[in-house]
Amino acid sequence: MDHAETAVMQAPSRREIGAGVYSEKLGMWVFLGSEVLFFTVLIGSYIILRFGSPESFADPGKILNIPVTAVNTFLLICSSMTMVKAFACVQDGNQKGLKLFLVATVLIGATFVSVQVFEYLQLAHEGFLPSGYVDGSHFAELAAAGDLPAKVNIYGSTFFTMTGFHGFHVTMGVVCMVYVTIKAFQGKYTATDHRGVEVIGLYWHFVDLVWILLFTIVYLM
Amino acid sequence: MAGDKHPNYFMIFVGLAVLTGIELFIAGFSWSKTLIIVTLLALAIWKAIMVALYFMHLRYEGNRLRIFVLAPLPLTVIIVIAVLTEYVW
Amino acid sequence: MATSAPPMDVAHAGSPEHDLSFIRKYIFSTDHKIIGIQFLLLSLMGLFMGGLMAMMIRWQLGFPEGLMPLGNLLPETMVSGGVLLPEFYNSLVTMHGTFMVFFAIMPLLVGVFGNYLIPLKIGAPDMAFPRLNMWSYWIAFIGMGIMLAGFFVEGGHSAAGWTQYAPLSSNPEFTGVVTGQQLWLLSIAILGLSSILGATNYITTVVNLRAPGMTWFRLPLSVWSLFITAILVLLAIPILSGAAIMLLFDQTIGTSFFDASNGGQPILWQHLFWYFGHPEVYILILPAMGMVSDVIANGSRKPVFGYHSMIYAIISIAFLGWIVWGHHMFQSGMNPTLGMTFMISTMFIAVPSAIKVFNWMGTMWRGNLTFHVPMLNAVAFVAMFVIGGLSGVFMASTPVDIYIHDTYFIVAHIHYVLFGGSLFALFAAITFWYPKMFGRMMNEFWGRVHFALTFVFYNMTFWPMHNLGLGGHMRRIYDPSQYEFLQPLAGTNRFISISAFMLMTVQMIFALNFVISWFKGKKAPNNPWDDNGLEWTVSSPPPHGNFAETPTVYRGAYEFSSPLVEEDFLPQDRKLEGDGG
Repeated sequence: MDHAETAVMQAPSRREIGAGVYSEKLGMWVFLGSEVLFFTVLIGSYIILRFGSPESFADPGKILNIPVTAVNTFLLICSSMTMVKAFACVQDGNQKGLKLFLVATVLIGATFVSVQVFEYLQLAHEGFLPSGYVDGSHFAELAAAGDLPAKVNIYGSTFFTMTGFHGFHVTMGVVCMVYVTIKAFQGKYTATDHRGVEVIGLYWHFVDLVWILLFTIVYLM
Repeated sequence: MAGDKHPNYFMIFVGLAVLTGIELFIAGFSWSKTLIIVTLLALAIWKAIMVALYFMHLRYEGNRLRIFVLAPLPLTVIIVIAVLTEYVW
Repeated sequence: MATSAPPMDVAHAGSPEHDLSFIRKYIFSTDHKIIGIQFLLLSLMGLFMGGLMAMMIRWQLGFPEGLMPLGNLLPETMVSGGVLLPEFYNSLVTMHGTFMVFFAIMPLLVGVFGNYLIPLKIGAPDMAFPRLNMWSYWIAFIGMGIMLAGFFVEGGHSAAGWTQYAPLSSNPEFTGVVTGQQLWLLSIAILGLSSILGATNYITTVVNLRAPGMTWFRLPLSVWSLFITAILVLLAIPILSGAAIMLLFDQTIGTSFFDASNGGQPILWQHLFWYFGHPEVYILILPAMGMVSDVIANGSRKPVFGYHSMIYAIISIAFLGWIVWGHHMFQSGMNPTLGMTFMISTMFIAVPSAIKVFNWMGTMWRGNLTFHVPMLNAVAFVAMFVIGGLSGVFMASTPVDIYIHDTYFIVAHIHYVLFGGSLFALFAAITFWYPKMFGRMMNEFWGRVHFALTFVFYNMTFWPMHNLGLGGHMRRIYDPSQYEFLQPLAGTNRFISISAFMLMTVQMIFALNFVISWFKGKKAPNNPWDDNGLEWTVSSPPPHGNFAETPTVYRGAYEFSSPLVEEDFLPQDRKLEGDGG
């Protein structure tokens, strides 16, 4: 460990040693703890409702678009990599790399959200909403023909709520990421103090982590 | 904090992409539902752990922080399992 | 690696950059002390409103035939021709609970005392994230505004009980309330954000900002309890937020989470709500217990008996609190096997609470007892909490609960732990720390009068509710006289109502004492109670930045009657010969 990081980024030295990490980082990890519980409610409810009424849920790929979402998943994981590369660059004193990778993360993150919005619009168009099928829609016809479950109200409810709130968190992340990127271009992050980069990075990786689980549970099972 | 010896983030990304690919592949198999679910879940958890350990640097942090991080997880399991038993008399 | 660079958190008492405008100093302040007082004003208002609602409920139950005094001040949709309408009654019971839990007790314990005490008692200049702290307050303020708005919309406020069980809460047909219900849910979600941000702040502050020498096992119990409570808030409130959002969606965008006719599960709401709800009730009592420990040690001039076991008890209560939620659902139709496991875990949780009660008694035993006003209230807390806890044991037993669930026996329990418990602890805490907050002492004579009258009228109000409940009187009922078997209980209801009116009236003494002392109270010295905590080493009120120099701590917080010194107290930061650095 031979980075010249000041005491600011180490555990507070004049005070009692706490978690051994600086406050902003500890604060973000603590906050992420609350987010774990929030997503537990949404994803847990999905698991419970699905277990209880499997006939109200469609098989993978029947309603949801797996190929598009799979690409989106790769994109989000990629943005997680660009994020951590940005962090590694600022640690190494590579300001150019920091800016480059932050911009990449913003762009890929924004793309992810756009693709998700597009996915929602597609689903609505085909007749799948939080309240279930839309009367007279393509999906409703398939259901009438027996190719899809008769009623998918709780499928719609859980799908849109889980992915919607995840998308909301990604959007908030992109907004914060833009702020951090602007500050990076202003030269506010150095090799000795880059707390903002690490902290937004943690949030971003968390959002990616949740998606990794969501994608598997919701789209592939 | 990772020193000059950063892990190879690109390779981690490749690993995650490969695992995702494997998941997509398995999702199409005609195994029993239970087997598919268990396998996919295991792969997803593996990916999540890799993101946590390498991208979020937990591999290089002290135990105290790791305990903070792990602490909420049992609560996740408890509520889901408890309510699932409603369906299993 | 770098060693002692200047710490990020520099005390800046009286420095020039802090000639802030009035607005930045007192309205949009980042100073934890100001924010604590802002929460105090907000929550005392919430307490008052909750109390007013209780008065209306008691009017209906005690004097159902009478015309409600001042009823003509309320709109026709609430009180018509002097008669409180049933729909409004349902809103009242809902909003009384809502206000008392979310806008009174929680902000008082966590928002006020968490904010005010933590930095001072650990030797820090402020919270870890002062600006986030300011946001926490203003977000809570907005949440309260939205909640208040619900009274003014068409259809009135939410009427599904503070517990909001689906489908009563999810289907507007059943209560007739649409907008009010949505505002309730929105308000709670926003308030939740405030709480989560606050909890993040408190946890980080206690972990990272303790002064040198303030090790974990030298922390006062008030800080320990607030720290553990913050962890509970962090993990439990998001559950409520998630569930509230699901409920809001059921009402607005047509989801079916709790709609059985479309594959949803009404009982899922109960599981989610109580998974939050049970840790919530420990959030409502643990800080009270912590502060009572501080006051009782002070009033006994003795260290807290079993300090370490007190901490382990707090931690156990917090742990066990996660696995007992089903005891609120014994009659819900849930899996009976679950019912059995919850009965066992609930019985267990009485143990750490009992340990604490014995330790408080042990602290007082052979102490040099000084019954100042905080001490009176703190001792009352212990006694009333025991009663509330004992009634809890009855409810924990599933077969007994079959009979008493949703009766006034439960209401008695709730109010013994929340009023007899938390509120008496708050009277103790407010009186104890008022001098530090406002630089003035509250009037001691009126404090004693308030205590004595409150104690009497409180027991007269809530004890008979045990009898009502055992007699079969159900909760939230508008007109008990419609049931023949409840008609003999009308006299008890009237007695309770009259006692409640007296109880509320007596609170005016506290309110007047609070307000008048602010302007006319005796000026308070730094340490009016001869206490050991770090907050008593600085002026009353403390300067911005708290400590001119970061204190160094040499001992725990309860060294009363120490043989090492002549005085009967020994502050944490006082260096004696032989003390290490």
